[in-house]
Amino acid sequence: MSDAPDDSALEQELRLAAARLDPVPPEVVAAAVDAFSWRDADAELAELVFDSLLDADQATLVRGSAGRRLVSFKTPGLTVDVEVTSAGPGRDIMGQISPPQRASVHIRHGAGIARTDADELGRFAAAALQAGPMSLRVSAAGGGTPAAVITDWLAI
Amino acid sequence: MADDDAGKLVGAAAGGDKEAWRTLVQRFSGLVWSITRAYHLSRADAADVSQTTWLRLAEHIGTIDNPDRVGAWLATAARRECLQNIRANARAVPTDDMTRLDHPTREDNPTEDEVLRAESEREQGLRAKALWQAVARLPLRCRQLLTILIASPPPSYAEVAAALDLPVGSIGPTRARCLQRLRQELAGCI
Repeated sequence: MSDAPDDSALEQELRLAAARLDPVPPEVVAAAVDAFSWRDADAELAELVFDSLLDADQATLVRGSAGRRLVSFKTPGLTVDVEVTSAGPGRDIMGQISPPQRASVHIRHGAGIARTDADELGRFAAAALQAGPMSLRVSAAGGGTPAAVITDWLAI
Repeated sequence: MADDDAGKLVGAAAGGDKEAWRTLVQRFSGLVWSITRAYHLSRADAADVSQTTWLRLAEHIGTIDNPDRVGAWLATAARRECLQNIRANARAVPTDDMTRLDHPTREDNPTEDEVLRAESEREQGLRAKALWQAVARLPLRCRQLLTILIASPPPSYAEVAAALDLPVGSIGPTRARCLQRLRQELAGCI
Protein backbone atom coordinates (compact mmCIF):
# COMPACT_ATOMS: atom_id res chain seq x y z
CA MET A 1 0.00 0.00 0.00
CA SER A 2 1.75 3.14 -1.16
CA ASP A 3 1.44 6.28 0.84
CA ALA A 4 2.59 9.46 -0.82
CA PRO A 5 4.89 11.27 1.65
CA ASP A 6 2.85 14.40 0.92
CA ASP A 7 -0.25 12.64 2.21
CA SER A 8 1.38 11.80 5.53
CA ALA A 9 2.68 15.32 5.92
CA LEU A 10 -0.69 16.89 5.12
CA GLU A 11 -2.47 14.49 7.44
CA GLN A 12 -0.09 15.37 10.26
CA GLU A 13 -0.57 19.10 9.62
CA LEU A 14 -4.32 18.58 9.87
CA ARG A 15 -3.87 16.61 13.06
CA LEU A 16 -1.91 19.44 14.63
CA ALA A 17 -4.54 21.95 13.48
CA ALA A 18 -7.29 19.86 15.05
CA ALA A 19 -5.34 19.50 18.29
CA ARG A 20 -4.97 23.23 18.33
CA LEU A 21 -8.48 24.27 17.34
CA ASP A 22 -10.67 21.49 18.70
CA PRO A 23 -8.89 19.60 21.46
CA VAL A 24 -10.80 17.28 23.73
CA PRO A 25 -12.02 19.50 26.59
CA PRO A 26 -10.34 18.58 29.89
CA GLU A 27 -13.71 18.09 31.57
CA VAL A 28 -14.67 15.53 28.92
CA VAL A 29 -11.46 13.60 29.59
CA ALA A 30 -12.10 13.83 33.33
CA ALA A 31 -15.64 12.48 32.90
CA ALA A 32 -14.24 9.58 30.87
CA VAL A 33 -11.77 8.75 33.66
CA ASP A 34 -14.58 9.02 36.23
CA ALA A 35 -16.73 6.59 34.26
CA PHE A 36 -14.62 3.77 35.67
CA SER A 37 -15.96 4.38 39.16
CA TRP A 38 -19.46 3.51 37.96
CA ARG A 39 -18.41 0.01 37.00
CA ASP A 40 -20.46 -2.61 38.79
CA ALA A 41 -18.67 -5.88 38.12
CA ASP A 42 -20.93 -7.99 40.32
CA ALA A 43 -24.26 -7.19 38.75
CA GLU A 44 -25.66 -8.92 35.69
CA LEU A 45 -25.85 -6.60 32.69
CA ALA A 46 -29.24 -6.15 31.01
CA GLU A 47 -28.77 -5.14 27.38
CA LEU A 48 -31.01 -2.72 25.55
CA VAL A 49 -33.30 -4.83 23.34
CA PHE A 50 -35.82 -2.20 22.28
CA ASP A 51 -35.74 1.56 21.86
CA SER A 52 -38.72 3.37 20.37
CA LEU A 53 -36.32 6.07 19.25
CA LEU A 54 -34.87 3.64 16.74
CA ASP A 55 -38.14 2.07 15.67
CA ALA A 56 -39.45 3.80 12.54
CA ASP A 57 -43.08 3.05 13.35
CA GLN A 58 -42.76 4.79 16.67
CA ALA A 59 -41.00 7.80 15.27
CA THR A 60 -44.12 9.93 15.09
CA LEU A 61 -44.93 9.23 18.74
CA VAL A 62 -41.44 10.13 19.81
CA ARG A 63 -41.46 13.47 18.09
CA GLY A 64 -44.79 14.46 19.65
CA SER A 65 -44.80 17.19 22.25
CA ALA A 66 -45.08 14.58 25.02
CA GLY A 67 -41.57 13.40 24.11
CA ARG A 68 -42.30 9.81 25.16
CA ARG A 69 -39.68 7.17 24.68
CA LEU A 70 -40.04 3.47 25.46
CA VAL A 71 -36.99 1.33 26.12
CA SER A 72 -36.59 -2.25 27.20
CA PHE A 73 -33.63 -4.04 28.85
CA LYS A 74 -33.34 -7.79 29.18
CA THR A 75 -31.43 -10.53 30.90
CA PRO A 76 -32.48 -14.18 30.62
CA GLY A 77 -34.29 -13.87 33.94
CA LEU A 78 -35.51 -10.31 34.04
CA THR A 79 -36.91 -7.58 31.81
CA VAL A 80 -37.01 -3.89 32.70
CA ASP A 81 -39.27 -1.66 30.61
CA VAL A 82 -38.93 2.06 31.05
CA GLU A 83 -40.97 4.93 29.69
CA VAL A 84 -39.01 8.18 29.58
CA THR A 85 -40.75 11.52 29.27
CA SER A 86 -39.15 14.91 28.89
CA ALA A 87 -40.19 17.37 31.55
CA GLY A 88 -38.45 20.58 30.62
CA PRO A 89 -34.72 20.09 31.00
CA GLY A 90 -35.27 17.00 33.13
CA ARG A 91 -36.60 13.50 32.58
CA ASP A 92 -39.34 11.50 34.30
CA ILE A 93 -39.31 7.73 34.17
CA MET A 94 -41.90 5.03 34.79
CA GLY A 95 -40.64 1.48 34.96
CA GLN A 96 -41.93 -2.06 34.99
CA ILE A 97 -39.98 -5.13 36.07
CA SER A 98 -40.96 -8.52 34.64
CA PRO A 99 -41.63 -11.01 36.07
CA PRO A 100 -43.40 -8.64 38.49
CA GLN A 101 -41.66 -8.44 41.86
CA ARG A 102 -40.66 -6.08 44.60
CA ALA A 103 -37.21 -4.64 44.12
CA SER A 104 -34.89 -1.88 45.14
CA VAL A 105 -34.07 0.39 42.21
CA HIS A 106 -31.00 2.62 42.08
CA ILE A 107 -31.13 5.14 39.27
CA ARG A 108 -27.53 5.93 38.36
CA HIS A 109 -27.34 9.17 36.42
CA GLY A 110 -25.25 12.29 35.85
CA ALA A 111 -26.03 14.01 39.13
CA GLY A 112 -25.59 10.92 41.28
CA ILE A 113 -27.80 8.03 42.37
CA ALA A 114 -31.52 8.27 43.11
CA ARG A 115 -33.21 5.48 45.01
CA THR A 116 -36.72 4.17 44.67
CA ASP A 117 -38.62 0.91 45.10
CA ALA A 118 -40.65 -1.26 42.78
CA ASP A 119 -43.97 -2.42 44.22
CA GLU A 120 -45.31 -6.00 44.20
CA LEU A 121 -46.32 -5.48 40.57
CA GLY A 122 -42.78 -4.47 39.68
CA ARG A 123 -43.71 -0.83 39.06
CA PHE A 124 -41.50 2.12 39.91
CA ALA A 125 -41.16 5.78 38.99
CA ALA A 126 -38.84 8.73 39.37
CA ALA A 127 -39.09 12.35 38.34
CA ALA A 128 -36.89 15.30 37.48
CA LEU A 129 -33.82 13.26 36.59
CA GLN A 130 -31.00 15.06 34.88
CA ALA A 131 -30.87 14.44 31.14
CA GLY A 132 -27.83 12.41 30.17
CA PRO A 133 -26.54 8.86 30.71
CA MET A 134 -28.71 6.66 32.92
CA SER A 135 -28.42 3.11 34.20
CA LEU A 136 -30.74 1.31 36.61
CA ARG A 137 -29.55 -1.14 39.25
CA VAL A 138 -32.34 -3.49 40.23
CA SER A 139 -32.02 -5.72 43.30
CA ALA A 140 -34.89 -8.13 43.82
CA ALA A 141 -36.25 -7.85 47.35
CA GLY A 142 -36.46 -11.61 47.71
CA GLY A 143 -32.70 -11.87 47.29
CA GLY A 144 -33.10 -14.20 44.33
CA THR A 145 -30.70 -14.87 41.49
CA PRO A 146 -29.16 -12.74 40.21
CA ALA A 147 -28.49 -10.56 43.21
CA ALA A 148 -28.58 -7.44 41.07
CA VAL A 149 -29.18 -6.46 37.49
CA ILE A 150 -27.89 -3.28 35.89
CA THR A 151 -29.25 -1.86 32.67
CA ASP A 152 -26.88 -0.80 29.92
CA TRP A 153 -26.09 2.92 30.02
CA LEU A 154 -28.48 4.93 27.90
CA ALA A 155 -28.58 8.65 27.23
CA ILE A 156 -32.02 9.95 28.18
CA MET B 1 -0.43 1.78 20.71
CA ALA B 2 -0.01 -1.81 19.64
CA ASP B 3 -3.19 -3.85 19.64
CA ASP B 4 -1.96 -6.30 22.21
CA ASP B 5 -1.07 -3.44 24.52
CA ALA B 6 -4.67 -2.29 24.29
CA GLY B 7 -5.77 -5.85 25.05
CA LYS B 8 -3.60 -5.97 28.16
CA LEU B 9 -4.97 -2.64 29.36
CA VAL B 10 -8.51 -3.91 28.90
CA GLY B 11 -7.72 -7.00 30.93
CA ALA B 12 -6.14 -4.98 33.69
CA ALA B 13 -9.00 -2.48 33.79
CA ALA B 14 -11.53 -5.31 33.91
CA GLY B 15 -9.70 -6.48 37.01
CA GLY B 16 -10.13 -3.07 38.61
CA ASP B 17 -6.87 -1.35 37.61
CA LYS B 18 -7.71 2.35 37.46
CA GLU B 19 -4.37 3.33 35.94
CA ALA B 20 -4.97 0.95 33.04
CA TRP B 21 -8.32 2.65 32.52
CA ARG B 22 -6.72 6.06 32.60
CA THR B 23 -4.27 4.95 29.90
CA LEU B 24 -7.15 3.73 27.75
CA VAL B 25 -8.80 7.14 28.14
CA GLN B 26 -5.60 8.89 27.12
CA ARG B 27 -5.30 6.67 24.07
CA PHE B 28 -8.88 6.80 22.85
CA SER B 29 -10.65 9.91 24.16
CA GLY B 30 -9.37 11.84 21.13
CA LEU B 31 -10.91 9.28 18.80
CA VAL B 32 -14.29 9.34 20.58
CA TRP B 33 -14.32 13.14 20.53
CA SER B 34 -13.42 13.28 16.84
CA ILE B 35 -16.34 10.98 16.06
CA THR B 36 -18.80 13.27 17.83
CA ARG B 37 -17.44 16.18 15.81
CA ALA B 38 -17.59 14.21 12.56
CA TYR B 39 -21.30 13.73 13.21
CA HIS B 40 -21.68 17.46 13.80
CA LEU B 41 -22.77 17.26 17.40
CA SER B 42 -22.68 20.42 19.46
CA ARG B 43 -20.06 20.53 22.17
CA ALA B 44 -22.68 19.83 24.85
CA ASP B 45 -24.06 16.81 22.99
CA ALA B 46 -20.53 15.66 22.20
CA ALA B 47 -19.72 15.69 25.91
CA ASP B 48 -22.83 13.62 26.66
CA VAL B 49 -22.03 11.11 23.92
CA SER B 50 -18.45 10.80 25.12
CA GLN B 51 -19.56 10.21 28.70
CA THR B 52 -22.18 7.63 27.73
CA THR B 53 -19.68 5.81 25.51
CA TRP B 54 -17.07 5.53 28.27
CA LEU B 55 -19.67 4.50 30.85
CA ARG B 56 -20.72 1.72 28.50
CA LEU B 57 -17.14 0.58 28.11
CA ALA B 58 -16.71 0.53 31.89
CA GLU B 59 -19.70 -1.81 32.17
CA HIS B 60 -18.73 -4.04 29.23
CA ILE B 61 -15.00 -4.10 29.76
CA GLY B 62 -15.02 -7.58 31.27
CA THR B 63 -16.93 -9.11 28.37
CA ILE B 64 -15.57 -7.56 25.18
CA ASP B 65 -15.07 -10.23 22.52
CA ASN B 66 -11.78 -8.90 21.21
CA PRO B 67 -10.02 -6.84 23.88
CA ASP B 68 -7.25 -6.04 21.37
CA ARG B 69 -9.83 -4.20 19.29
CA VAL B 70 -11.22 -2.02 22.05
CA GLY B 71 -10.53 1.03 19.86
CA ALA B 72 -12.94 -0.25 17.24
CA TRP B 73 -15.42 -1.15 20.02
CA LEU B 74 -15.29 2.42 21.28
CA ALA B 75 -15.59 3.81 17.76
CA THR B 76 -18.69 1.70 17.08
CA ALA B 77 -20.23 2.62 20.43
CA ALA B 78 -19.54 6.31 19.83
CA ARG B 79 -21.06 6.16 16.36
CA ARG B 80 -24.23 4.57 17.71
CA GLU B 81 -24.51 7.10 20.51
CA CYS B 82 -24.09 9.92 17.98
CA LEU B 83 -26.90 8.54 15.84
CA GLN B 84 -29.16 8.14 18.90
CA ASN B 85 -28.34 11.68 19.95
CA ILE B 86 -29.17 13.03 16.52
CA ARG B 87 -32.49 11.18 16.48
CA ALA B 88 -33.35 12.31 19.99
CA ASN B 89 -32.65 15.91 19.19
CA ALA B 90 -33.86 15.94 15.57
CA ARG B 91 -32.08 19.18 15.31
CA ALA B 92 -29.77 20.21 12.52
CA VAL B 93 -26.41 21.55 13.56
CA PRO B 94 -25.15 24.25 11.23
CA THR B 95 -22.06 23.36 9.25
CA ASP B 96 -20.46 26.42 10.74
CA ASP B 97 -20.15 24.57 14.01
CA MET B 98 -17.26 22.65 12.52
CA THR B 99 -15.50 25.83 11.56
CA ARG B 100 -15.95 27.54 14.88
CA LEU B 101 -12.52 28.57 15.85
CA ASP B 102 -13.33 29.37 19.44
CA HIS B 103 -11.25 27.25 21.65
CA PRO B 104 -10.61 27.44 25.37
CA THR B 105 -8.64 30.57 26.11
CA ARG B 106 -6.28 30.78 28.99
CA GLU B 107 -7.63 32.81 31.85
CA ASP B 108 -4.37 34.39 32.87
CA ASN B 109 -3.01 37.50 31.19
CA PRO B 110 -0.40 37.00 28.48
CA THR B 111 3.12 36.90 29.78
CA GLU B 112 5.99 38.61 28.06
CA ASP B 113 7.10 35.21 26.83
CA GLU B 114 3.77 34.64 25.16
CA VAL B 115 3.84 38.05 23.53
CA LEU B 116 7.26 37.27 22.09
CA ARG B 117 5.99 33.99 20.67
CA ALA B 118 2.90 35.66 19.26
CA GLU B 119 4.26 36.25 15.78
CA SER B 120 5.11 32.65 14.90
CA GLU B 121 2.00 31.48 16.75
CA ARG B 122 -0.07 33.74 14.59
CA GLU B 123 1.38 32.28 11.41
CA GLN B 124 0.81 28.73 12.61
CA GLY B 125 -2.64 29.77 13.71
CA LEU B 126 -3.49 31.20 10.31
CA ARG B 127 -2.35 28.03 8.58
CA ALA B 128 -4.33 25.89 11.02
CA LYS B 129 -7.43 27.97 10.43
CA ALA B 130 -7.02 27.73 6.64
CA LEU B 131 -6.73 23.94 6.88
CA TRP B 132 -9.67 23.68 9.23
CA GLN B 133 -11.92 25.79 7.02
CA ALA B 134 -10.85 23.89 3.90
CA VAL B 135 -11.85 20.61 5.56
CA ALA B 136 -15.24 22.11 6.39
CA ARG B 137 -15.83 22.82 2.70
CA LEU B 138 -15.23 19.23 1.61
CA PRO B 139 -18.09 16.88 0.77
CA LEU B 140 -19.64 15.16 3.79
CA ARG B 141 -17.89 11.81 3.46
CA CYS B 142 -14.44 13.38 3.18
CA ARG B 143 -15.15 15.80 6.00
CA GLN B 144 -16.22 12.96 8.29
CA LEU B 145 -13.35 10.69 7.36
CA LEU B 146 -10.68 13.34 7.76
CA THR B 147 -12.15 14.60 11.03
CA ILE B 148 -11.82 11.15 12.54
CA LEU B 149 -8.53 10.31 10.88
CA ILE B 150 -6.82 13.37 12.36
CA ALA B 151 -7.71 12.53 15.96
CA SER B 152 -4.83 12.43 18.43
CA PRO B 153 -3.30 9.95 18.83
CA PRO B 154 -3.85 8.68 15.26
CA PRO B 155 -6.52 5.99 15.01
CA SER B 156 -6.06 2.78 13.06
CA TYR B 157 -7.96 2.27 9.81
CA ALA B 158 -10.05 -0.36 11.61
CA GLU B 159 -11.10 2.26 14.14
CA VAL B 160 -11.93 4.81 11.43
CA ALA B 161 -13.91 2.13 9.59
CA ALA B 162 -15.89 1.29 12.75
CA ALA B 163 -16.59 4.96 13.35
CA LEU B 164 -18.11 5.38 9.88
CA ASP B 165 -19.50 1.89 9.35
CA LEU B 166 -17.35 1.48 6.22
CA PRO B 167 -15.27 -1.49 5.04
CA VAL B 168 -11.76 -1.17 6.41
CA GLY B 169 -10.30 -1.75 2.94
CA SER B 170 -11.96 1.42 1.68
CA ILE B 171 -10.30 3.71 4.21
CA GLY B 172 -6.86 3.91 2.58
CA PRO B 173 -8.09 4.77 -0.91
CA THR B 174 -10.74 7.17 0.44
CA ARG B 175 -8.14 8.91 2.57
CA ALA B 176 -5.90 9.43 -0.47
CA ARG B 177 -8.81 10.77 -2.50
CA CYS B 178 -9.94 13.11 0.25
CA LEU B 179 -6.48 14.50 0.89
CA GLN B 180 -6.22 15.21 -2.83
CA ARG B 181 -9.60 16.98 -2.67
CA LEU B 182 -8.32 18.97 0.24
CA ARG B 183 -5.25 20.05 -1.71
CA GLN B 184 -7.50 21.23 -4.51
CA GLU B 185 -9.63 23.10 -2.01
CA LEU B 186 -6.56 24.76 -0.52
CA ALA B 187 -5.15 25.61 -3.94
CA GLY B 188 -8.45 27.23 -4.89
CA CYS B 189 -8.07 29.60 -1.97
CA ILE B 190 -4.99 31.29 -3.20
